[in-house]
Amino acid sequence: MSVNSKPFQLRPGVSRRQVLKGIGAASSLPLIGGFAPAFASGSEGRVVVIGGGFGGATAAKYLKRANPNLAVTLVEPAQTFYTCPFSNLYLGGLREMSKIAHGYDELRDRFGVEVLHTLAEDIDPDGHSVRLANGDTLQYDKLVLSPGIDIRWNALEGYDEAAAELAPHAWKAGPQTELLRSQLEGMDDGGTFVLVAPENPFRCPPGPYERASMVAHYLSQHKPNSKVLILDAKDNFSKQGLFTSGWEQLYGDTIEWVGLSGDGRVTRVDADNLEVETEFGTVHRADVLNVVPPQKAGWIAERAGVTDDSGWVPVKPETFESQQVADIYVVGDATVAAPMPKSGFCANAQAKVAAAAIVSALRGDSPPEPYWSNTCYSLIGPEYGISVAGVYRLQDGVIAEVDGSGGLSPSDASPEIRQMEAEYAVGWYNAICQDTWGTEA
Amino acid sequence: MPHSFRHMTLSRRRLLRSSAGGLLGLGLLGAVPSLLFSPAALAGDAWQRLEAAQQVIGDATPESDGLTLDLPHVSEDGSAVALTVGVEASLDDGDYVESIHLFAAGNPNPEVAVFHLTPLAGKPEVSTRVRLNETQQVVAVARSAEGKVWATSREVRITVSGCLMRGDDVPEALSNPRVSVPGSFTAGQPGEIRTLITHPMETGLREGDDGETLPRHIIERFKVSVDGDTAFEAELHQSVSANPYLRFHLAPERSGEAVFEWHDDTGESARETSQLNVS
Repeated sequence: MSVNSKPFQLRPGVSRRQVLKGIGAASSLPLIGGFAPAFASGSEGRVVVIGGGFGGATAAKYLKRANPNLAVTLVEPAQTFYTCPFSNLYLGGLREMSKIAHGYDELRDRFGVEVLHTLAEDIDPDGHSVRLANGDTLQYDKLVLSPGIDIRWNALEGYDEAAAELAPHAWKAGPQTELLRSQLEGMDDGGTFVLVAPENPFRCPPGPYERASMVAHYLSQHKPNSKVLILDAKDNFSKQGLFTSGWEQLYGDTIEWVGLSGDGRVTRVDADNLEVETEFGTVHRADVLNVVPPQKAGWIAERAGVTDDSGWVPVKPETFESQQVADIYVVGDATVAAPMPKSGFCANAQAKVAAAAIVSALRGDSPPEPYWSNTCYSLIGPEYGISVAGVYRLQDGVIAEVDGSGGLSPSDASPEIRQMEAEYAVGWYNAICQDTWGTEA
Repeated sequence: MPHSFRHMTLSRRRLLRSSAGGLLGLGLLGAVPSLLFSPAALAGDAWQRLEAAQQVIGDATPESDGLTLDLPHVSEDGSAVALTVGVEASLDDGDYVESIHLFAAGNPNPEVAVFHLTPLAGKPEVSTRVRLNETQQVVAVARSAEGKVWATSREVRITVSGCLMRGDDVPEALSNPRVSVPGSFTAGQPGEIRTLITHPMETGLREGDDGETLPRHIIERFKVSVDGDTAFEAELHQSVSANPYLRFHLAPERSGEAVFEWHDDTGESARETSQLNVS
């Protein structure tokens, strides 16, 4: 293994017995699927990571960085991962899809992570095993799930998988994002882009409003007589004051936002006719209809038994181990980690906490004290960025924002500051992708 | 962010203070709860420890089965937490649920709302949105006309997400009353009614931008009558969210006119009518 990991090498003086103790009962179980026993390569434990997004890729990398003697397997069906962060810039015409695409070469070649491009189909928590779509079974001592979100189909009447082909959600970056972009390109000037925004909690709280901004930017360049209508199931949204004043400055009255109290909550979608109906019976017709639907933890979390009746995953905040199933750690959008938002940055930060906790646990140590940070940048225009940042620690056993940490972009900032923040947003994106996948888009 | 960290911190603090938008005067906490709990019971269910709930329960021994209180475990926006309360227990012939009381044990004033129901209200289930100042127990108590009593409670954790800074919007009071009724009813069967009205529901506990306390200004009473008979009433307190939303039921026996009235504490009111068609 050609790992440059001076600070992370195996601690001297770890006896074979300690290693055995740390690995736990699972190592005595029969191995299925032909994977070599962990000890054969001098491993100190086997960790399987499911999901190669911000949370999963970061966890795999930081596990190997902290202890190269772990056998770490990353299971991710896609060869290429498209990030939700900056996918709105693709919609706005500021960035190509290839510039939000990331692969797994660094994890494989530099850090020695075994990357399997297949789907994890089921998890047996008692047997500590994962069944793969390719027929193999993986044994684990510790399992990391970074399953992201799934759509709650039909939770919004009329919005099912078929409807999403007509009225895309584009809330997982990839073909859906491209479909939405092509619909936007096909729209006549003078048309209305309707964006349906969900109630909390959902992936990327500022995302719908950045999307409206980027769509308005595209329209201002190509279809200046068109409108953006946001129908929202909430009365308040992330960075609201900053968004609304930015919209006025850059796009005049192109963007209209209707909140919950203004009858903005959509209760029925008619994708065939591109119509939506609100709670109090107003029907809105769209030329392009973008539905950001209700969400839940990614499907494999349910199979693992780690979700609760909310559809999300409660975790022990000090380690991000599931509250319900031992030895399964869950990070990212799937978790209940509020006040941390469901963001790529948080998934990355949570993955590092989980990785450190797993490395400690496998050595028989207690986990280090965790802290997390997050910044959500949003672009309102190509040269108009805003942000909110926070630092989080444990307080009385729950995650809490550190008083006086972080901050929000000033409401009265100069155009220069807005421009600098737009540049910082790009810097942030490059840095976190470098940290997560080792790739620069 | 080196360029303006200080400004951002300041503006963040300003925003938190001025945008309490719905959160009840943050500074008032801490001192209050000790007054709210009866000294007798420190253990047990939240309704046992809450004086205001005990006053409604009186000498009765409440049941918990049959009363459901549906709230999220965690809410990222304490200014509007969606809540549904309903009695599912079966009742004796002729008996009906006549009141449902909601309390937020950790708010400066624990009374949230009282719903008065009649047989015309059909199904004893009400949804609304409430303000929760902090992580706390929400308590519901229901009473039937013949004296049956139910009580239950649920803990809700309130966290304001780091990505959820809210804006300030001061709506015009009593504007835009909205009512949604079913297209038709089956005689005597409950149909779902939804109402929404614009109102700040100013708590009287919050500071404005000038540092002065904003005077209390809330809708105190909501009433629905069908052809002159009262069918459903709600007493609202400060802990009901701005722009009060109510979802409840009506079970008319024959077609008629429903009148919806909202009365606020300045004596102003709004009125809306709707035809109920029984087929």
